Amino acid sequence: MTRVLTVAAKEIADALRDRRTLTVTLLSAALAGPIFLMLIFNLIASQQERTRELKLPVVNAAAAPALIAFLERQQVKVEPVPADYEAKIRAGDIDVVLVIDDQFAADVAAGKSAVVRLVYDRSRDRAQAAIGEVEALLRAYNRQWSQQRLILRGVAPDVGNALDVQAVNLATPRQSGALVLFLVAYYGLFAAVIGGMALALDATAGERERQSLEPLLMTPATPLELAAGKWLAVSAFNGLVVAVTLLGFYLTLGFAPLPSVGIPFLFGARDFARFLVVLLPLIMLMPAIMLWLGSRARTIKEAQANISLLLFVVGLLPAVQLFLQRKEPEWIVAAPVSGQYTLLNRVLRGDVLALSDVALSYAIPATLIALALVAVARLWSRESILAGK
Amino acid sequence: MIAVDGLAKAFGKRREIRAVDGVSLVARDGAITGLLGPNGAGKTTVTRMLATLVIPDTGTATIGGLDVVRDRYAVRRQIGVLSDARGLYPRLTARENVRYFGRLHGLSGVALDRRIEALFATLGLSALADRRTQGFSQGEKMKVAIARALVHDPAHVMLDEPTNGLDIISVRALRDQLRALRAAGKCLLFSSHVMQEVAALCDHIVILAHGRVIAQGSAAELVAQSGTATLEDAFVALLGSGEGLER
Repeated sequence: MTRVLTVAAKEIADALRDRRTLTVTLLSAALAGPIFLMLIFNLIASQQERTRELKLPVVNAAAAPALIAFLERQQVKVEPVPADYEAKIRAGDIDVVLVIDDQFAADVAAGKSAVVRLVYDRSRDRAQAAIGEVEALLRAYNRQWSQQRLILRGVAPDVGNALDVQAVNLATPRQSGALVLFLVAYYGLFAAVIGGMALALDATAGERERQSLEPLLMTPATPLELAAGKWLAVSAFNGLVVAVTLLGFYLTLGFAPLPSVGIPFLFGARDFARFLVVLLPLIMLMPAIMLWLGSRARTIKEAQANISLLLFVVGLLPAVQLFLQRKEPEWIVAAPVSGQYTLLNRVLRGDVLALSDVALSYAIPATLIALALVAVARLWSRESILAGK
Repeated sequence: MIAVDGLAKAFGKRREIRAVDGVSLVARDGAITGLLGPNGAGKTTVTRMLATLVIPDTGTATIGGLDVVRDRYAVRRQIGVLSDARGLYPRLTARENVRYFGRLHGLSGVALDRRIEALFATLGLSALADRRTQGFSQGEKMKVAIARALVHDPAHVMLDEPTNGLDIISVRALRDQLRALRAAGKCLLFSSHVMQEVAALCDHIVILAHGRVIAQGSAAELVAQSGTATLEDAFVALLGSGEGLER
């Protein structure tokens, strides 16, 4: 055990000496949260801004004075239309334009459906809020007008409303802002995956590359002791990177002057601690896997190639879960990465974190850690580890 | 004492490369035994088998009476090895590099610090002790590697080409160090392909070629045996007659 700790202490001291890698790793971890949240919150705020002060250029406004009056009552600022409005919409300068048909007044007089056209570019994300708003307003006007017509003809307005759709939003305030939640969970997860990478590779492929592994293997320390010591060091460092990343989110959400977007999104000290509890198996599993991959390579460069595949798979899993949009089976909690992602989302939604689920999420990573460390030790016991440089 | 009997090791998929092919030798305590041979003669493989990193196919080797296969961890406490691979940790200082290995050998505290201090003094490293090894010259790195191999004061010392890259003053200092170890009763196994080095230092010389011992004895005995004037001539003559060395 003393030797395990000796190895761990040396690896940590060595890592702390590598100022450049240390600065880059910790600084990018610390800044991830603030930069990210600023961008997202500004995006949300600007979309709300656009909705609140909806400016709507209208073609042929004079043909439909009642509609224009309705829109203006709803705080819409009706504007004249520039001549080249289609080009401006394509360029993203204008979100949406309302075109009132030349026959509008005649159709209304004849009791026919009057035509209005909405011109927009659906592919522009920033325009979505404005488009949705105008569509909703036109639907509301349509309903109001139709009901008036039915009443004039002595028909109960409900006749025209066969289906009364009433939306009941069950989202608690915490359950809003799903995208922000996804990104926080994803970022925490990602920090746990890559935090210890540089150190893990340096401690395995690096030892071989600089020819210090053979002297190490000639000491009384067993290969398993060496692997365990290195794993402890990389895990500790990885934990530090995750803690710094989460601290960035915590401090930004708690104290930074973020634009108010109406999402009472909380990430308090409790969530911070629960995040660490959920991420712990990954914080300790990823270093073990990276040590294993690193010990299979002769040089750090070779090891990086092996690891990029791992990063790809791990990075993809949460995205797949997000886009499948299906309710996950219960066993997903036990799967590494997917399980952590699921539990992180539960924490962020404010759900109860069941102890049994946490225990379940620890089981497979613990087994994999043991397997990976034994595999590293076996590799280092082989004669072929000495061959080649 | 290092006793090797009929040691053999083959590499390759079909074991077609017979790196060591039945080597027997004895290295006494209080003596420097030289392992002399051209590149590819099997010196490094013999050293690695003695260092417990490579397991022999056949034959046995004991170090201080301990078997290198069965008692490998006990053997490791008895040996100090400067192998072909002698990389250091560039971000650690010379002292930290050596201290790490001292700790892995179970040393600690003041005893370890004193031991390092003494080693550095004899190797002429004291001025560099607290500098990172990053910018060290080849010779300085070598000295740190030697200090690392000797930190636990092993009874048996094996050195693979230790004078590579050393300047003449360092070579002389190293020779003095090895003679001091001999005087202290240590068993030294010194492998090299540099004749002068071996002639100047070794009490007993074992000449290896193609994985086999082709001659052994003191420098004088080898010269007499081959009927030549110098050890170098003896070396070439013995290789030529014994193994048909091609050049």
